[in-house]
Amino acid sequence: MESWKSHVRAELFHRDCRQRDPFSGLFDKVSRLEEMLDFHIKLWQSSSKENSNSTCPNEGGTLYLRVNEVEFLNQQLKQKIADLTSNIYLKEAELQYCHSQVARYRTEAVLLAQGASCLKSDLEEYEYQLECQSKELTALRREHSTLTEEMATTKLQEEELLERWLEEKKQEAERINKHNATQERWQRLAGRLKKRYRGRSRLPPCVALAANTNNSSDSKPKQVEHLASSS
Amino acid sequence: MADDKDVLRDVWFGRIPACFTLSPEETTEREAEPYYLLLPRVSYLTLVTDKVKKHFLKVMKAEDVEEMWFEYEGTPLKWHYPIGVLFDLHASNTALPWSVSVHFKSFPEHDLLHCTSNSVIEAHFMSSIKEADALKHKSQVINDMQKKDHKQLWMGLQNDKFDQFWAMNRKLMEYPTEEGGFRYIPFRIYQTTSDRPFIQKLFRPVSAEGHALTLGDLLKELCPASICAEDEPKRFQVMVHGIEPLLETPVQWLSEHLSHPDNFLHISVIPAPSD
Repeated sequence: MESWKSHVRAELFHRDCRQRDPFSGLFDKVSRLEEMLDFHIKLWQSSSKENSNSTCPNEGGTLYLRVNEVEFLNQQLKQKIADLTSNIYLKEAELQYCHSQVARYRTEAVLLAQGASCLKSDLEEYEYQLECQSKELTALRREHSTLTEEMATTKLQEEELLERWLEEKKQEAERINKHNATQERWQRLAGRLKKRYRGRSRLPPCVALAANTNNSSDSKPKQVEHLASSS
Repeated sequence: MADDKDVLRDVWFGRIPACFTLSPEETTEREAEPYYLLLPRVSYLTLVTDKVKKHFLKVMKAEDVEEMWFEYEGTPLKWHYPIGVLFDLHASNTALPWSVSVHFKSFPEHDLLHCTSNSVIEAHFMSSIKEADALKHKSQVINDMQKKDHKQLWMGLQNDKFDQFWAMNRKLMEYPTEEGGFRYIPFRIYQTTSDRPFIQKLFRPVSAEGHALTLGDLLKELCPASICAEDEPKRFQVMVHGIEPLLETPVQWLSEHLSHPDNFLHISVIPAPSD
């Protein structure tokens, strides 16, 4: 039991020990005696009215007093019985109320138990689903890590290929440049030859022939040399 | 609730021994003997003092008799406060029996309400119950009761029938389990050191965070002076039904078990005795 509750109980007990119990018996007795005194006074007044001539109580009078006292006590007992009877009715009503409460709580308990079992089965289902999903998650995670690894390798390969491709492109560009340069040189040479050829073709045929015969032996190597130096 | 029924019984059957003496200001035909009576803490003075009146009327002249009222050491006693509250507030640390003076003249109009018959007490009692239920259940429980049920509550108090009263009152103490308590706690804090008759405000039994609030929380909020620090000497006593509950007692439990029949939790804050 909580300490505050036992404190209240103990304090109430001590309060009654201090305030009620030492006085209760005494006060009850005083009150009963007062009641009896009142009753005796009333009785004495009524009997003195009836027997106004007699001055002292005789044996009949004492008997009369006793009978009335018993009757008075009887009345009190009857009152007590009536109180107890009404109390019994109250207790019965309380008992009925308690029974109805028990029935209500029982129904509530059954409903709650049903609800609990439903929740339990739901919980089991959710637990199963959770297990499945956690397994799935583990598999997916594993797959994910494999794919990540693969992706890293592929990236590395891609980079390598890209480097190789760039290298090749570079070489190709160099090759093309070289080819272009050769092309250009040959075109220039062809142009110069064409020019020279056109110049010679404009001279009279005898000059041209003489010139050809005089210079035919030493002029050709010079031109190649010149060409070679210009290239 | 069922486990604590003995607390309900102890509260209901709490008694204060009282000695009623006729005030010397009253003129009598002969000297009046004092009248001794065990007063129920949960009842009202004018409801249980028929015998006192009858006792003193025997020595009074009919022409000197007006409305009866009571006084303790110069303070007129308000009949509309429960007897236990009056005792705790004015005389809790004095010798027993409680010495109460009885007057039949010079009614203190400014201090007391008139109480010409038991129907006035009944009206006051029922209005307190209705007010308490308005706080606890928005008046739903008391409005669902029939006239005879209201009568049963009153008759239970009037005739000091614990079972009769609680057969009906338990309905006023019920609350939905999921809410953890009443809507608001019906309480009143009385102080001898204040001019205000009492403190009464809206106070929920459960905090916004969902934990049960205690008597300490209630006093801290509404009467902080009544709580002293651990290293300080105690200046005030917080009394309910003549006892000092611990400050950690939940107010919901106090309201269910230590409320008066009017369904209010009456808390008296009095100066602590110096010795």
